Amino acid sequence: MKEWIHLRIRRQDGPETPPYWQTFRLPYAPDQNVVSVLMCLRENPMTTDGRQVEPVAWDHNCMEEVCGSCAMSINGVPRPSCSALIDDLEQPIVLEPLPKFPVVRDLLVDRARMDAGLRRVKAWIEIDGIWDIHEGAPRISPAEWSASYLYSRCMSCGCCMAACPQFGPQSDFIGPAPLAQVRLMNAHPTGRYDKTERLHRIMASGGLSDCGNAQNCVRVCPKEIPLTTAIGELGRQTTLQSLKDLFGQG
Amino acid sequence: MNASLDHIHFLLRRLHSLFGLIPIGAFLTFHLWENSQSRFGADHYNLEVVSALQEMNYLPFIELFVIALPLLLHAAYGLAISGQMRAELSRYPYARNRFYWLQRISGIGILAFLLFHVGTTRIQGLWQPAVRDDLYGHMQTLLTDPLVFGLYTLGLLLSVFHLVNGLSTMAIVWGLTTSAQAQRLFGYLCIGLGLLLGAIGIHGLLGFLP
Ligand code: HEM
Ligand code: SF4
Repeated sequence: MKEWIHLRIRRQDGPETPPYWQTFRLPYAPDQNVVSVLMCLRENPMTTDGRQVEPVAWDHNCMEEVCGSCAMSINGVPRPSCSALIDDLEQPIVLEPLPKFPVVRDLLVDRARMDAGLRRVKAWIEIDGIWDIHEGAPRISPAEWSASYLYSRCMSCGCCMAACPQFGPQSDFIGPAPLAQVRLMNAHPTGRYDKTERLHRIMASGGLSDCGNAQNCVRVCPKEIPLTTAIGELGRQTTLQSLKDLFGQG
Repeated sequence: MNASLDHIHFLLRRLHSLFGLIPIGAFLTFHLWENSQSRFGADHYNLEVVSALQEMNYLPFIELFVIALPLLLHAAYGLAISGQMRAELSRYPYARNRFYWLQRISGIGILAFLLFHVGTTRIQGLWQPAVRDDLYGHMQTLLTDPLVFGLYTLGLLLSVFHLVNGLSTMAIVWGLTTSAQAQRLFGYLCIGLGLLLGAIGIHGLLGFLP
C-alpha cells in the first residue's frame, strides 16, 4: 500500500511572471482524484522541503466531468482533473496548466479563445425570429438524434485544442471543439437555417482548412466525441457549399 | 458577392490538396511506372520509353504547366503551412500524429531531392545533349555511386509516403471518408498503394544498375 501521494506542480504567480516548480507530499487515501488531492493540499500548502507556500490556484466546478473547467495537463496529457483517479496515475503526478491557453495563475488558464471560436462559428441556434420559427417540437429521427447526441456532450474543456499540433499562439486555428459544434448545430432542424453562414465562417482563415489531420483531438477527448468524423463531415459540407457558391444553388 | 471567392483561404487550401493528387501524384505514379522499364535494358529504355516522351508535341508546355508550376505552387503553400506545425511526438505518439509530422518533413525532403534530381537530369540535359540521348547510361553512372543510390531510394520512399498519406488525408479534407472506420479502411488501402508504388520504384532503380 502506498503511503504518500507525490505531486510536482508547475506554478506561476501571474500571467506575465515566469513559471517555477514545486513538489508536495500528501498522506495517501484511497479513491482520490486530482481535484480532491488539490483540495487537501489547499488546507495545508507545504512543499516537500517544509516551506509554507501560497495555495495552488486551479479551476473546478462540477466534479463529474461535465463542466470542463478543471482540465489541465496531468503527467503530460491534457485531461479533466476530476476524472483523473490517483490510483491510476504514475507518481510523482506532474500537474501543469492546460497547454496552449494563457496562464492566469498556477493551474488556472484563460479559455477565452474557446469562447471566441464558438462565437465565431455561430455555435448556437437562433430560436427567435421575426416570425415563429419553432412551431411544435422539431422532428428528428432516432438515428439522427443518437449521432448528434455524441457532439452535444462537449463541455468546452479545451483538451482537444491543447493536443492539436495546429492550434496555439502560432496560428489562428479555432480548433476541433468549435468545428464539432458546427457539425451539431448544422444537423439540428432549426439550426439548419444558419448552415450556410456557419459553413462560410469555417471556410475563412483559421477555420476548417487549418486542420492538419493529426487526429490527436479524438484521442484525448474525455467525452469520446468523434471529432475527426465531424471534420470529415464538414469537409463534405464545405465541398458541396463551395460548389453551390461557385456554380449556383442546386 | 460570391461567398466562396471571398474565402480565398479555402480555395487555396483545396487547390493545394487537389494539386497533390492531380497532376503531381498522377505524374509521380506515371514516372515510377515509366522508369520501372529500366529493367528491359538501355536500348529499350532509351529508344522506346524515353524518346517517345521526348518527341511528344508541346512537351515543354506540359512540363511547365502540368508538372513544374503545380509542384511549385504545392511546395510553396506546403512550406508556408508547415510553419504552423507544433507536433509533440513524444507526448502524442499516435500513428496519425507521426504521419502528420512526416508529411511536412517529407515535403521538405522531397523539395531538396527534386532540386538535385531534376538538376542532374532534365536541367543538365538542356546543355548536355549526351545526357538526353543516353539517359539510361547517365542514370547508370549516377546510381552506381552508393551515395546517390541511397539518396534516390530515400527520395523515392519519401515521395511515395507523402503521396499515399496525402491521399488518405485528402479523403477527409474533401469529405470522402467521414466515419472512423472509413478513414481507417481507406488508410489501409493507401498503405497498400504505397507498398505497390514503392516496389515499382525500387524495381526501377535496380534496373539501372549494371
Ligand atoms: C512528389 C511530389 C509531391 C506529391 C505527389 C505531393 C502530394 C500531396 C498530397 C496528395 C497531399 C494531400 C493534400 C491534403 O491533405 O489535402 C499533400 C499534402 C501536403 N504536401 Fe505535398 N506533394 C508533393 C510535394 C510536396 C512538397 C515539395 C512540399 C513542401 C515542401 C509538400 C508539402 C505538403 C504539405 C505540408 C502537405 C499537408 C497539407 C495539409 O495536410 O494541410 N508537398 N501533398
Ligand atoms: S470536444 Fe472533447 S476535448 Fe474538446 S472541448 Fe469538447 S469535451 Fe473537451
